Amino acid sequence: MKRDNPFLVGLAAIAGLLFLSPVLYSIWISFQTADAYYTGGTAFTLDNYGRAIGQYDFARYLLNSLFVSGMVTLLGISFATMAAYAFARFSFRGGNLLFGATIATLMIPSHISLIPNYLSLAKVGLLDTYAGLILPAISNGFAAFFLRQYIRGIPKSLDEAAYMDGARPLTVLWRIIVPLSRPAIASMALYIFMTEWNSYIWPLVAVGDKDLYTLQVGLARLYRINPGEGLVDWPLVMAASTITILPVLLGFLLVERHLVRGITMGAVK
Amino acid sequence: MSRKFQSAIAASVLSLVASVGAADAATTVKFWHSFNKTNGAAIDKIIANFEAANPDIDIEAEFIGNYNDIIAKLQAAIPARRAPDAVILEVTRYGLFANNGILTDLTPYFDADPLKDDLYDYAKEVGVIDGKNYIVPFNSSTPVLYFNKDIFTRAGLSEDTPLVTFDEILSAAKTINGKLGAEGISGIAAPGQFARWGLVMANDSELVDPMSGEILLDKPNTIEAYQWMASLVHAEKVASPDGVTDEDAGRDAFLAGKVGIQMNSTGGYGSTKKALGDNLAVRPMPCNKACSVPIGGAGIGIMASSPKDVQDAAYKFVSYASSPEANAIWFAATGYLPINKKSADLPVAKEALATKPGIDVAIESLPNAHGRARTTVVTWMRTTEYKMWQAMALGQRDAAETLKDFAEQTRSEETRLSN
Amino acid sequence: MLRKLTPYFFVAPLMISIAVFTYIPILSSLNLSVREWNFLSPDMPFVGLRNYEQLLASHDFWNSLWVTTVFAVLSVPLRLGLALVIASYLTRETLHSRLLRGALFLPSVTSAVSIAVVFSWIFSTDYGMVNALFAAVGIGKVHWLQDPFLALWVLIFVNTWKQLGYDIVIYIAGLQAIPGELYDAASVDGGRRLHVFRRVTLPLVMPTTYFLLVISVIEAFQVFTIVNVMTRGGPAGATDMLVNQLYEIGFVLFDIGRGSALAVILFVLLVALAILKSRIIGRKVHYEA
Repeated sequence: MKRDNPFLVGLAAIAGLLFLSPVLYSIWISFQTADAYYTGGTAFTLDNYGRAIGQYDFARYLLNSLFVSGMVTLLGISFATMAAYAFARFSFRGGNLLFGATIATLMIPSHISLIPNYLSLAKVGLLDTYAGLILPAISNGFAAFFLRQYIRGIPKSLDEAAYMDGARPLTVLWRIIVPLSRPAIASMALYIFMTEWNSYIWPLVAVGDKDLYTLQVGLARLYRINPGEGLVDWPLVMAASTITILPVLLGFLLVERHLVRGITMGAVK
Repeated sequence: MSRKFQSAIAASVLSLVASVGAADAATTVKFWHSFNKTNGAAIDKIIANFEAANPDIDIEAEFIGNYNDIIAKLQAAIPARRAPDAVILEVTRYGLFANNGILTDLTPYFDADPLKDDLYDYAKEVGVIDGKNYIVPFNSSTPVLYFNKDIFTRAGLSEDTPLVTFDEILSAAKTINGKLGAEGISGIAAPGQFARWGLVMANDSELVDPMSGEILLDKPNTIEAYQWMASLVHAEKVASPDGVTDEDAGRDAFLAGKVGIQMNSTGGYGSTKKALGDNLAVRPMPCNKACSVPIGGAGIGIMASSPKDVQDAAYKFVSYASSPEANAIWFAATGYLPINKKSADLPVAKEALATKPGIDVAIESLPNAHGRARTTVVTWMRTTEYKMWQAMALGQRDAAETLKDFAEQTRSEETRLSN
Repeated sequence: MLRKLTPYFFVAPLMISIAVFTYIPILSSLNLSVREWNFLSPDMPFVGLRNYEQLLASHDFWNSLWVTTVFAVLSVPLRLGLALVIASYLTRETLHSRLLRGALFLPSVTSAVSIAVVFSWIFSTDYGMVNALFAAVGIGKVHWLQDPFLALWVLIFVNTWKQLGYDIVIYIAGLQAIPGELYDAASVDGGRRLHVFRRVTLPLVMPTTYFLLVISVIEAFQVFTIVNVMTRGGPAGATDMLVNQLYEIGFVLFDIGRGSALAVILFVLLVALAILKSRIIGRKVHYEA
């Protein structure tokens, strides 16, 4: 990176912190006791986190969110990569139609399937299960479309050389296409993970059992039932909110570049 | 492998099998309720006592949220077949479930239960639709008027300030706002839905006729009551709009000592007393044009879809929950009305009556208490009322116009439901 | 033979899940929208177009369409305008611009529920940060989320705060694609900064603007989380946007027929917008070529 004017760097840091101040302040509050908060003092405590994790089950919600988002990402990216590979490398009867149907999902608002998905999963007894949270989220037309474009940019001669050596299509996908599309796959996986991590309306209607709440649903509920007699226990709610934000925040700091690239590439589709 | 080790394994496997077997033998009753904090602790205690007396029954209780949340969650659970076995249902909103065959008819159980003779008539009545018993009362209530003595004193109001007519309440609220508004204290909390219904009855009207089921939302006295309630917020500004968009916020502000007067269920007595201590005073609801208060609260219903043995076990719990010993614990901790004639004589109830001034106000107002309509449309009406109330209280829409519109919508919804 | 089946094997998992969770539900919604059901009754009688008629005759439907439109019309230009101005200062790959970009981008990947909860607190009447700041300069308490007019603006603010970084990142990509010589030429002509912005930057990022315009309008029509957490559509329906209305009818009032009819209407509306979008993207490709 080029050398930069330290004054500008300082200014940018201040502007950035100011912009993020609501969230930063909420994190600060999460370390305060409720008494200190309401009387305007400061008293550092970890008790809010203790209660959020213990009494209010946020450790469980965190694990649920990790598991559900992880599975959605794993299955979603696998399905999308396989389909992208087929669409990019094979011409087959109905292929264009199926590709069209995949792209068309980008235009379809997910909310139209809210009630029907609820009913169909209810019918097969999958509401209140991890599968019920995961399955409706795994088809990702955008990732399939995006990866197809990417794979088309990989020279076909590489596949052909492998076929010459007697490789099968699955081997070609696994040994050649996947390694070469790693940046694109990583970007899309990240995109799927973030989307699923933050998804709210489906877990809200699909899960009634507290043991299966994701962080988003758990946090919205905690806020709504107002823990504490009388005034809202904001420090506790903010601790729960911080638990909800933090994993993505840390992930973001690690992979910001990939994420931004993925999103930008997506936009210029 | 040594003999000893083998037998140790065998023994542990055996005990595992035995414990699984034991778990199977116990009947588990899934129970949804609406009580947390102070009231939640009380119901947990009742459940623990029941389980101690009935080791073969396991009550798996879960706090779901308020009455609205329970109704919504129960309705969503039906197609998913994930309803509980027993559930707390508010006394005006279970008709929807009873009339759709979701709740089992408890009449045979209830008729064979000696409890039947011990319950007060006002409490028994709330569980009946068309002669059939669908819920057994658990927590009965009427609204009462709470006020904060400390705030009254600081505002220069005596503790005996008359608070019977709408004008008297408004004038007390205005005094408080005038004197203490600068400290962030407001005169009165925006009434919640139960209190709103009570205030309509205090103005000699009803939302729905309890006998005929006729919709009375657009009757002049109903409109007048709503006009007065709305004026507290948007015209007189003695009530904070925070309590309009979220009625719990009004209650919470009262508990935090930020509000002078609050009308709410007597079932909140326990937590209010805990928060305000000796500063709490309780009065009956106002009698503006009539002295009439609604009977609220909830009873426990049992799902028609649960297996017979689970229903039997669930009824055992339902019956116990209304027994004198359980009811006395409940009354003393929460302030909900005694529903069992024998509870008031138990020491725990006597002690509460002696040491918790105001806990008896609701009991005193029972002669004026009336059951309310529980037709199918009431559930819809109560869900929709929130939005209507917000529009009136925030001065978005004129009360008369809103209520006429609301009455019309409710009538057409009723037609739709009956088709 | 097996060779021929290979591509089908690869697309099958995706196609099956798309069919089951996207296409079939569209048909089920159409079917449910002409029926009467509340989850409780054993049967769901056919009622023709009655649900659509009732929906189109209801105050709530038109209110939510109006609120959603107002939300979109107010928030989208605000977002895009701010984003373009900020982006034009952050196009260079320097430390300070990357730092600020990161900070601005962060909210767009952060949980909407958390953001909604945090801002519910920031804008709460008694212990909120905004009212505390106002008190410090002598302004009295404002009921941000209880005032029908202000509540919608608070949601617009929160949504803008959350999405701004995304728009900025996209704009930066668009701006970086503009050849530097064009700027040099404009500067040589003696153009001032504003002049260059209007004559060079604005027209050349037009394709990006079109793109962002359409996706943010589509997004605005699907806003739910912040509404559900912060206002539940209130006060008095002032923030009752379409998806919130859909949720209320479907999962609070359980009028499944009417809820499905609303879902179908929303679907038609958004597909129309999306088709408009693909037209515009088509135009963009043409423009660049």
